[in-house]
Amino acid sequence: MKIKRRDFLKLSAIAGATAAVGGCARSAVELNALSATKKSNVVIGEAPGEWKATTCQGCTTWCPTEVFVQDGRAVKVKGNRYSKQNDGKVCPRGHLSLQQVYDPDRLKVPMKRTNPNKGKGQDPGFVPISWDEALSTIADKMMALRHDKEPEKFCLMRGRYTYMRDLIYDVVPKTFGSPNNISHSSTCAEGEKFGSFFTEGYWDYRDYDLDNSRYILIWGCDPVASNRMVPATIKRLGEALDRATVAVVDPRLTTSGAKGHEWLPLIPGTDGAVALGIAHTILTEGLWNREFVGDFKDGVNRFVPGRKVTEEEFEEVHTYGVVKWWNIAVADMSASKAASVSGVPAEQIVRVARGLAAAAPHVAVWMGPGAAMQARGGYSAMAVHALAGLLGAVDNEGGSLQSAKIPVNKLNGDILKKYQDELAKKHSHMEKIDQRGRLELPALKSGKSGGGVATNNAVTGMLNNDPYEIKVLIGYMNNFPFSCNGTDKWEKALGKVPFTVHLTTNASEFTMFADIVIPCAVTKYEKWGFVKTKANRYAACTLVQPVIEPVWDVIQDETEFPYLLAEKLKDRGFANMYDCLVEMFCDPETGAKAKNSKELSLYALKYYTKPLWDGKKDTHGDKINGWAEMVARGMWNSAPYEYKSHWGKFKTETAKFEFYSETLKKALHKHAKRHHVSVDEVMTAVNYTARGELAFVPHHEPPMRHGAESEFPFVFIDYKSRLNREGRSQNCPWYYEFKHVDPGDVGGQDTLRINPVDANKIGIKDGDRVWVTSVAASGECIARVWEGVRPGTVSKAYGQGHWAYGRTATADFGRSATRGVNNNTIIPWELERLSGSNARNGGHAAVRIEKI
Amino acid sequence: MTQYGMIIDLRKCVGCGACALACKTENNTALRRNGQTHNWADFIHETTGTFPDTKFRTLPVLCNHCSNAPCVAACPVEPKAMYKTADGITMHNDDRCIGCRACQDACPYSMDDVSTDGASREYSVISYNDEGEPAHPFFSDKTELIKRCSGSPAELCSLAGAVPPHRTDYQHPDYKNVRRDNIVEKCILCDHRLKVGELPACVEACPSGARIFGDLDDGKSEAAMLLQKHGGFVLKKEKGTKPNVHYIRNYSAR
Repeated sequence: MKIKRRDFLKLSAIAGATAAVGGCARSAVELNALSATKKSNVVIGEAPGEWKATTCQGCTTWCPTEVFVQDGRAVKVKGNRYSKQNDGKVCPRGHLSLQQVYDPDRLKVPMKRTNPNKGKGQDPGFVPISWDEALSTIADKMMALRHDKEPEKFCLMRGRYTYMRDLIYDVVPKTFGSPNNISHSSTCAEGEKFGSFFTEGYWDYRDYDLDNSRYILIWGCDPVASNRMVPATIKRLGEALDRATVAVVDPRLTTSGAKGHEWLPLIPGTDGAVALGIAHTILTEGLWNREFVGDFKDGVNRFVPGRKVTEEEFEEVHTYGVVKWWNIAVADMSASKAASVSGVPAEQIVRVARGLAAAAPHVAVWMGPGAAMQARGGYSAMAVHALAGLLGAVDNEGGSLQSAKIPVNKLNGDILKKYQDELAKKHSHMEKIDQRGRLELPALKSGKSGGGVATNNAVTGMLNNDPYEIKVLIGYMNNFPFSCNGTDKWEKALGKVPFTVHLTTNASEFTMFADIVIPCAVTKYEKWGFVKTKANRYAACTLVQPVIEPVWDVIQDETEFPYLLAEKLKDRGFANMYDCLVEMFCDPETGAKAKNSKELSLYALKYYTKPLWDGKKDTHGDKINGWAEMVARGMWNSAPYEYKSHWGKFKTETAKFEFYSETLKKALHKHAKRHHVSVDEVMTAVNYTARGELAFVPHHEPPMRHGAESEFPFVFIDYKSRLNREGRSQNCPWYYEFKHVDPGDVGGQDTLRINPVDANKIGIKDGDRVWVTSVAASGECIARVWEGVRPGTVSKAYGQGHWAYGRTATADFGRSATRGVNNNTIIPWELERLSGSNARNGGHAAVRIEKI
Repeated sequence: MTQYGMIIDLRKCVGCGACALACKTENNTALRRNGQTHNWADFIHETTGTFPDTKFRTLPVLCNHCSNAPCVAACPVEPKAMYKTADGITMHNDDRCIGCRACQDACPYSMDDVSTDGASREYSVISYNDEGEPAHPFFSDKTELIKRCSGSPAELCSLAGAVPPHRTDYQHPDYKNVRRDNIVEKCILCDHRLKVGELPACVEACPSGARIFGDLDDGKSEAAMLLQKHGGFVLKKEKGTKPNVHYIRNYSAR
């Protein structure tokens, strides 16, 4: 055992000795005499450096940021000084990102697989290859598909993106001739958008006017930790607690839940019941917002528990179908019934309803993925958002808002068409590999049958070669065998693709199935791009910039790869992709065509953002004089969003806020007609229980559950850590050091939180190693016995359980050994079929917990 | 007299972690090892009550820059390595430190061996850099996960030109931006920033505005006024150390 100096000192003190210190020739006195004579002439403060603007993409807030660069190194991060969303501050993710760009396990050269066997635990036998070999191999494989007249068997999968995606995600597959550009969008929150679209006609995330809210109802998310305006909310929650009431509906105790005035820990999957219970109270007590919803013609409230109302008696203003909704779904869901379904006390439901009404219309009803991303979450998303409608809190001061316009250029469809040959035209319209639009998968983005992606169903198509086999697969910054539930299905599907390419920064799980791997730039630090974001009434366009020279020999995935690939295809006699790229993305200032991949990246960014800085038209926002100023500022802000912009012109069938969704009715009828069935048959096919008129109104659906209660007694709750930079920060040591900033978590371990009542019952103590097992899989984690989780449920953050990615993310990279278990391995494969979303909340993942 | 200190407004704090991470990026502190956290800013968490009436709060913790600092009293060298500046900062002089760890022993907010973290209320204001070890051993490793295809920590640092690769370069006569071996380290209130008119990195970075730095002896400073208005509390008052980090208001509105 090593003797500490302090111990030595203590020993010395006992012995009566003083100054002499062990192991060192000099005494302390001598040392200090030396340092005292060393007169300091250092200049106090920071060495020279420069704050450079860019954008953080660690979560979907997409914060405008600045990075301090000293001697070519990125050393510190803050929010962009011009941002009206984050006011110059970032959340912990912003700082954590330094360990991503300086991740020692980043790929430094292109590589190829030498072991033909693909599967988890198989060493791919990667060896370095030249850029020429990498790109030529990919081009040869793609040309073979063109030669065989089957370009549809090419598939491009997209993960984290900027709006430069058009080059790789649109131009590449569409000029080549494939319908298969599969995004990651529905892994995240398309279910939320479903809720706002089929009520308000808005297929997007909402902004929230927190500065003016008098009641904030946070539902199924923790907006100071994740969701879409993190720093803006962190700044405002404290003041809101003094000024407004904050109520949080969530089965786990979140930070917002811990700080708020009310915590409503509902049973997972009962969101629709609680929302309807609140609506029932608002309606029966006559508390709805008259300005928005209207009133009974004679002013007498006929919403009496259990009684139907005649539609003609009510005159609506900006809404449609409130009486229908009452008659079909709300009348039957009193607060006490909602309480018996949800486990939330009736008096709390009533108290919250009355508080909301008293503060209306200055109420933010913050609908998060917990309320929506459920196997039957479409209607609960609508139900939660419908509360904002009843309270007049839609598109209103202190409420939820849509977005101001961001006037950037779009992809030039005419040029794209010009470079689509007959094969490309024909085959790029074939059915997509995710089977969107089939009877059992309406994926009703913006009301269109098959209008949206069903990311997690691409795996079904690939496994079954239905509608056809995918022979050449390129993924960029995606990691579906980690980020999509049902990881076992993804492993099988990727194992059978004959040729896979991965564009990535690290050797992730997806990479381990790849034949060719292309090392790529880290967003925020090493590439060009732009994104659109909004918060706090302002929309913003913010640039992603290469604030440092790339650490390794890497390329920019969205722009350089398409160019370099197109060059190789051109060499092989197929020039359309190349010609399309260089024509569409010439320098908008000089008309010069790109001569290399780096020029194309820059010209494309200038092309898209030009209306913001060319001074030609009023942008209705910041005035920016030229490209140089745009680069220096790094962002553009809109003027503040005008309240009530969409009142009277919501993009629904009726132009009103719909409690009875004519918009959804039309969409479902069109989908049913396409498949020659009734809407009821559609509802059966998509695993919903609603029949008849219930299918057109927000309502409660009984939660789906995979695994009998007798065998799998707990409901597994997945949540996003405030340190998750999506699933990519687990190779950052700081992630583990500070993981305890998630309430109830412990650093350095994969924590499963369990209520003491349940822990006692099954003999589990705090810190025990436990197996968590669902119908899908088992895995190991550490139990945390904690009062902040509802009995009957257990909760764990998504993120850990990597079997690839790096030395810190895994327990042993070479043996595919994990630290903890991936939530998406435990959560059985499932979809919310109306929106096409991955279902991850709402109780379908039932588990048992056993002590190891 | 000047007495620099910090007010932490718990109502505003959301326990997000940004302050502690910003501190790590500013001061290039090492990763946890040998029972030393090297976190100059950290957190402890407290859960009380039973479901559904559960209460939870996070307390950000850092050096309290005590007026009656036991770490200074314990420092055996002369002049002291741990000493109070005229501004009331508990300053550490790297050159004079002999690594005896008497300060760590004496400090009621420090532990010589931190085995868990804030989830079980463990943290240490003072950390020790082991004798004979580099400050960032993580970055000395030369192994590549995928041979010749992925990087190694050592190669990364050599390309970036610094250890750690995101090292923030600053100067101060008392302390270095990366510590040598066999000395202790702790929060020095970012004196290298204060001296040039900037706020401590954690204060600057806090996205909720919960950390208010100022002269507590100046009744007109925002910090002093907040303290006077809200009262507040200090950690381990009974130890008589007279901390200058004060917590005001309740974390929870419940």
